[in-house]
Amino acid sequence: MSNRTEYWNPKNETLSREELRSLQHRKLKRLCEWAYERSPFHRRRWEKAAFHPDQLRTVADIQRIPFMTREDWMDAQAEEPPFGTLPAVPRDLAIRYHTTSGTTGRTPLRVLDSTKDWQWIAEMWCYGIWGFGVRPSDVVLFAFSYGTFIGFWGAHYACEKIGCLVLPSGGGTSEGRVKSILDMGVTTLCSTPTYALRLAQTAAEMGVDLARDSRLEKVVVSGESGGSIPAVKRQLESALGAKVSDMAGMTEIGTIMIFECANQPGGTHIIEDNFIEETIEHDGERPLPYGERAERVVTSLGRGFIPLIRYRTKDLVVKIPHSSCACGRTGDIYHGGIQGRWDDMKLVRGTNVYPRAVESIVRECRAVDEFQILLTREGVQDEITVLIELKPGREDHWTELEGRLCKDLPDAHEGLRFNVRLAERNSLPRFELKAKRLVDKRPVADFT
Amino acid sequence: MARLDLLGRPLTPAETQLLEIYTTLKSVAAQPDLPPCAERNVKQALASMWQVANDLDLEFEQLYDVGV
Repeated sequence: MSNRTEYWNPKNETLSREELRSLQHRKLKRLCEWAYERSPFHRRRWEKAAFHPDQLRTVADIQRIPFMTREDWMDAQAEEPPFGTLPAVPRDLAIRYHTTSGTTGRTPLRVLDSTKDWQWIAEMWCYGIWGFGVRPSDVVLFAFSYGTFIGFWGAHYACEKIGCLVLPSGGGTSEGRVKSILDMGVTTLCSTPTYALRLAQTAAEMGVDLARDSRLEKVVVSGESGGSIPAVKRQLESALGAKVSDMAGMTEIGTIMIFECANQPGGTHIIEDNFIEETIEHDGERPLPYGERAERVVTSLGRGFIPLIRYRTKDLVVKIPHSSCACGRTGDIYHGGIQGRWDDMKLVRGTNVYPRAVESIVRECRAVDEFQILLTREGVQDEITVLIELKPGREDHWTELEGRLCKDLPDAHEGLRFNVRLAERNSLPRFELKAKRLVDKRPVADFT
Repeated sequence: MARLDLLGRPLTPAETQLLEIYTTLKSVAAQPDLPPCAERNVKQALASMWQVANDLDLEFEQLYDVGV
């Protein structure tokens, strides 16, 4: 039976909307009771807002809970380093530590998971990976660095759980990965969309046409929005001769919350038995209906170590009804996946980059007069370059400064490589108000 | 009387059995005198069975107090 169903969890993935809301309510209430009891962060904020979990009579009462933001979380971390006041459980119960880039400087956002949470993270990936059609007979290659960046960690364990043959390729080169795809009969590739394209390019340089010469059938992409951009998806599917599924998550929840099923409806189903996803106006708090460009707010029902409740993600989404897809799942859909950001955060090769975090590192160097962050696309890959103008008479400092920035910027961004270049005197723009030091020259995505 | 899931529906025989395994593992995991080989493997197994209980709406609770 288990290999024949197209759903990982047939019971919950096909619940009626009414049943789904009822289930969400029961879980939300228990999670909030737990968080109120055990998380100093939540208790303090909820008491200030006169909210108590007893007020949750239906799932719609979620709107009584105050929002939380990444800045709130960072502040709580700074208040009681290294993990802050959000965790509901002592650190010694954690078996996993992951980080994501901070918003303001060198300090990352630190995330802990227990044994149960870590397995739940893989479980959520199972919803997506199974739903896309990956089965025990598949051979899956992970083109992923296996560092503190959460990336495909959960997907790796999900594929093991499903029963696939898993090929980790953390330290591998692109050439080595192409060889593995051919030699091992890899049927499924997991990587960022950018890297999947790069792999196809590398293969071509080796005289290999992956679409013709390999057994690739499925590509799971995550970490960037490319997988839901029709033009990028077409390019990937043509270069690799495989179907592509976009799955999106975030380090703050540790896993994916949306995935594109095998029907490829042009969007991603929300895993609604484990997440409550609200869509609201980005510059206010009003809920927005289907079809509106909105900010997504997530409540994760599965992770109790770090209860994430009404977290404003700044992700730009357009929610549409589940009936837009014929697969039978009743989880609603984000048309085009995560379409972008409402704030100034940029995604570069899967890593979050906040201009103010880059600025705080660059400004530690007193020789810097002005700077600019330049995002470009070189072939299929995104590049980030920091252009530096030095103060007059400080040219002698360049070599030391360049070396320092080439180390400190990646250290604060999960190892992301930055190009650091010296700009000519007075070549960069100066600002009196609202400085815009980030220039994004990458092509704009078209989700239609 | 038939046991019910979180939505008030009767459990199937397989679900009843799964819930019993989960409950048994939880009780074993709370025992203080298990050797490391038993303690850690029971906790791993309990974490796995929590996923089943959560997926099938059999139970929804936190397990941190038994170290999982």
